[in-house]
Amino acid sequence: MTRRRSAGRLRAWHLAAGVALLTALAAASLLVGVGDVTPAGLLGGRDEDLHLLVESRLPRLLAVLLAGTAMSVAGLVMMHITGNRFVSPSTAGTTESATLGVLVATLFAGGEAVIVKMALAVACALLGTFVFMTILRRLTFRDMILVPLVGIMFGGVIGAATTFVAYRYDLLQTLGAWTSGDFSAVLRGRYELLWLAGGVTLLGYLYADRFTVAGMGRSFAINLGVRYDRVVNAGLVLASVITAVVVVTVGEIPFVSLIVPNLVTLALGDNLRYALPATALAGAFFVLLCDVAGRLIRFPYEIPVSTVLGVVGSAIFLVLLLRGGRRMGVR
Amino acid sequence: MPALLVLAACGGQGADSAETAADGRQAAEKVTVAHAQGNTDVPKNPQKVVVFDVGVLATLDELGVKVAGVPAVENLPDHLAKYAGDEYTKVGSLFEPDYEKVNALEPDLIIVAARSAAAYGELAKIAPTVDLSVDFSDFLGSFRRRIEALGTIFGKEAEVKQRLDAIDAAVQEAKAKADDRTGLIVLTTGGKMSAYGPGSRFGLIHDVIGVKAADPNIKADTHGEAITAEFIAKADPDILYVIDRDSAIGENGEAAQKVLDNALVNGTKAAKNDKIVYLEPFTWYVAPNALSSVENMVKAVGDSLS
Repeated sequence: MTRRRSAGRLRAWHLAAGVALLTALAAASLLVGVGDVTPAGLLGGRDEDLHLLVESRLPRLLAVLLAGTAMSVAGLVMMHITGNRFVSPSTAGTTESATLGVLVATLFAGGEAVIVKMALAVACALLGTFVFMTILRRLTFRDMILVPLVGIMFGGVIGAATTFVAYRYDLLQTLGAWTSGDFSAVLRGRYELLWLAGGVTLLGYLYADRFTVAGMGRSFAINLGVRYDRVVNAGLVLASVITAVVVVTVGEIPFVSLIVPNLVTLALGDNLRYALPATALAGAFFVLLCDVAGRLIRFPYEIPVSTVLGVVGSAIFLVLLLRGGRRMGVR
Repeated sequence: MPALLVLAACGGQGADSAETAADGRQAAEKVTVAHAQGNTDVPKNPQKVVVFDVGVLATLDELGVKVAGVPAVENLPDHLAKYAGDEYTKVGSLFEPDYEKVNALEPDLIIVAARSAAAYGELAKIAPTVDLSVDFSDFLGSFRRRIEALGTIFGKEAEVKQRLDAIDAAVQEAKAKADDRTGLIVLTTGGKMSAYGPGSRFGLIHDVIGVKAADPNIKADTHGEAITAEFIAKADPDILYVIDRDSAIGENGEAAQKVLDNALVNGTKAAKNDKIVYLEPFTWYVAPNALSSVENMVKAVGDSLS
């Protein structure tokens, strides 16, 4: 992952500005919704406003922040351990595998607790990602574009299997309903699993240095005394758990894990100590912005955040490819 | 209103109608059926009938008409379960015909509706085909014409008339009970909710019975509008009508009760007055155009207003 441009350094005030911006957007998002919540009502302690805030607005905000943070960090970690800018949970079959896991759980353990569903989703996501890594090790040409293409094809195969199973059990529409990432069903008591993804994301920060070194390649990392395989496996588990938790609780959140880490490392360079907090902040901000937009465009109805992200994300991704491609080593 | 009068009125406008056309030169009597995609001459009392619509299938079953081919449908309700058996040729899915099987059956009549309406053109090349889709912008009117067409084709006019008249009477009775109370129709699937309004597939509640829409702005979209619990709280309907799509197709996912059991919905007038009405999913979602379905639908809404 060579960089030809000297990376800017993250300074404390950058981070502070980012936090301030996110806080402002977060505060604004608390006021966006069908019910009436006003700043005056909140400050005045009006019961209805506080009730809505606690039951609906605050849970939704937290769910968006957690999912956005976790998915973008998962993308950053995968990008590092595969040494490829375009590998993320959505381009390595991880998301599709997690979805297959949820479908299997729905079919065979429909009445079971959500934790069973999640365990199966995590197991499938892990399995799928490890299979992808195995394929990756056997690739002779580890081209910047070829690797994610293989990942997308691999994900396509798993997605096709999922669709087939869903079709056989008349579940296609249901599959569509819960795989499209959407925070509209989030209420107090309906999102708390996402804290688990948040916890795993924090663990990622502790491992940040080692991911950075692993990103420099196997032999380099081993020379530096890093247990390469263990670090890579830890990274895969981390990305798989995060993806599975997010898919189970809110559905697939596309593009975030791909674009946000790319934009951040373009600006800040590859040292994860700097890139991780910035990626976490940017991911949260990006998803929150799209969710608020989805709530406003057709008010009082909703557009799923995955739809908004799909439109905005693909546009940004195209710009990234066309403009920044050369810089990123893509011809 | 007498059935004949309705027929005459419809025929006059050139709209959907069913009338007998005595053809002197041919032995087999034919009827011209006006349906959603044109007019088709079909033989009276056809022997081999292929049906692609569960609602029409249920209606024919109630009228005691035998069919030869049916779509393969999982999770049919008990009274229709026999159609899953081997004695009925499976002619494809609810949406997609298996043309070879249809062809091999050499049917006298093919009936499509709603989910299978797109296959009309191809099927019409095989045998006389009618599209008995109901029109949600004129649900009861188009439903009546479709059912009367079936009655004419299969010579069950008297029975059909009697049951349609009973539905009319039930509608009047339910209408009389619809006062100023508002209703909101919500469909749940995969833990998510969407709202439906007047003119939609569940619009009978508002359009026919006259329950006021808690939110008059919901567009008549096939898949409804994605909403949040906050939306339900804000609309605060007197009656909340719920269709659990997942249980309609036999999936044991997040049941509607679980989705709706939250602080915001529990604060609505509907929840407080115990007026969250779970509508029977097969009747409302799978086969809303069956004779017995409409009877049950009118009754369910009427009961909710008492």
